[in-house]
Amino acid sequence: MLAQAPHPLSADQSMPHVRIHGLNKWFGAVHVLKDIDLTIRAGARIVVCGPSGSGKSTLIRCINGLEAFQKGKIEYEATSLGKNTRETAKARRQTGMVFQGFNLFPHLTVLANCTLALRRVLLKPAREAEEIAMRHLTAVRIPEKAKAYPAQLSGGQQQRVAIARALCLNPRVMLFDEPTSALDPEMIKEVLDVMIALARTGVTMVCVTHEMGFAREVADEIVFMDEGRIVEQASSKGFFSGTAHPRARLFLDTVLRH
Amino acid sequence: MSTFNIWLGILQGLGTTAQVTAYGLVFAVPFALVFGVAQFLTTGMTRFLVTAIIEFWRSSAVVVLLFVFYYVLPVMGITLSALTVSALVLGLNTGGYASQAVRAGLQSLPAGQREAGMALGLSRLAILLLIELPQALIAMGPTFINNLIQLVKATSLVSLVTLTDMTFRAKEIAQTNYDPVAIYSALLLAFFVVCYPIALAGRWLEARIQS
Ligand SMILES: Nc1ncnc2c1ncn2[C@@H]1O[C@H](COP(=O)(O)OP(=O)(O)O)[C@@H](O)[C@H]1O
Ligand SMILES: [Mg+2]
Repeated sequence: MLAQAPHPLSADQSMPHVRIHGLNKWFGAVHVLKDIDLTIRAGARIVVCGPSGSGKSTLIRCINGLEAFQKGKIEYEATSLGKNTRETAKARRQTGMVFQGFNLFPHLTVLANCTLALRRVLLKPAREAEEIAMRHLTAVRIPEKAKAYPAQLSGGQQQRVAIARALCLNPRVMLFDEPTSALDPEMIKEVLDVMIALARTGVTMVCVTHEMGFAREVADEIVFMDEGRIVEQASSKGFFSGTAHPRARLFLDTVLRH
Repeated sequence: MSTFNIWLGILQGLGTTAQVTAYGLVFAVPFALVFGVAQFLTTGMTRFLVTAIIEFWRSSAVVVLLFVFYYVLPVMGITLSALTVSALVLGLNTGGYASQAVRAGLQSLPAGQREAGMALGLSRLAILLLIELPQALIAMGPTFINNLIQLVKATSLVSLVTLTDMTFRAKEIAQTNYDPVAIYSALLLAFFVVCYPIALAGRWLEARIQS
């Protein structure tokens, strides 16, 4: 399934997909992101971790334009985010987003959740949209629920549908914001398995998560945030082998003890 | 005149009652949708204007509006038929109430719904039409049924502008037969017969939405 063919858009490993320069964001007077620099290369698998409130969600949401920012630059290959709404929409189309709370559309079937943007944004004919959607639903191992409504699915199943929905648009970068932290423990694995399989296809991904097992297995780069700053940015090996920044090590200790 | 005959006499006004209700919906539904959505989406001065228009229709006394539109507008050279005036006034009054249900329904949706739509690259309009409105309208279905019942009941006022609805028929019959108990009980029953099935439909809808 997922592991067979490389993702069509993952080929060019040399080009950075997204470049973030000196990103700063305030919510009112609160300085939430401070001088963030981050390059997301094609094919990168970046895990972002850090204590609650450190700005991880805000960073992810800035990358796909769900939040505006006050200073700095986010560059997507050709377009730059934050200049105007058309540019933002264009950049946004290159990213797929998976939310902590799934955010499926409850009034639509699983299939319709997946075909909605194919039909209304990419203007695909119904047949083709359904074929694409079924392909991705199969990849997340839930094709049999295509005609079900989100409320009829477990949390793990809903999150897998949400992943399929985001993949349908063939994004350059997949963004995950704590995709498993709203799930019961027994459902975490089925979602992580899908994400691991996805990583093997070569999709570029940035994932906020505290699942350190997943990070160790999948990430090639770990970004540790604290109080709005990137405190540590290291290869997965470096990060876990104890060379991490003291604050990162403290964080790791608390997370791993749970 | 037997109670049954009185009832039949009153039901002769049912056509007018139904007509005002149906015609009233032609005003109420678009008003509720357009103004409910506008209040949800706009800010600042525009929102203030939208709210003012909604409040005018919602908060004015229906009887006074009927008189103003039927008796005062002709003086200014605008003559509308009694049916149009009734449908307009009752419809926009009901639409004013329903617009608040539309707005509340939209506001009560979790922000994640809009964000998921944005993340998929959908335009604001597409998010409104394909994601937000369908959910808000389903959730507010029972409230809309209540608004519809209000509209039916409010049609009892249109006899004030000469329409021969059920209430008007009751008053006509009362002029020839002095039997207020039988006549007005029959009128009460007539409205109940019209409104109760709507209320039942509303309850059925509510049960379906909850499941
Ligand atoms: N919409 C918002 N309005 C105001 N403050 C916010 C908002 N969203 C997040 N914050 C604040 O920004 C900081 C970072 O939040 P967030 O990015 O959600 O952190 P994390 O995802 O790492 O837990 C927190 O202090 C939080 O209270
Ligand atoms: Mg968060």
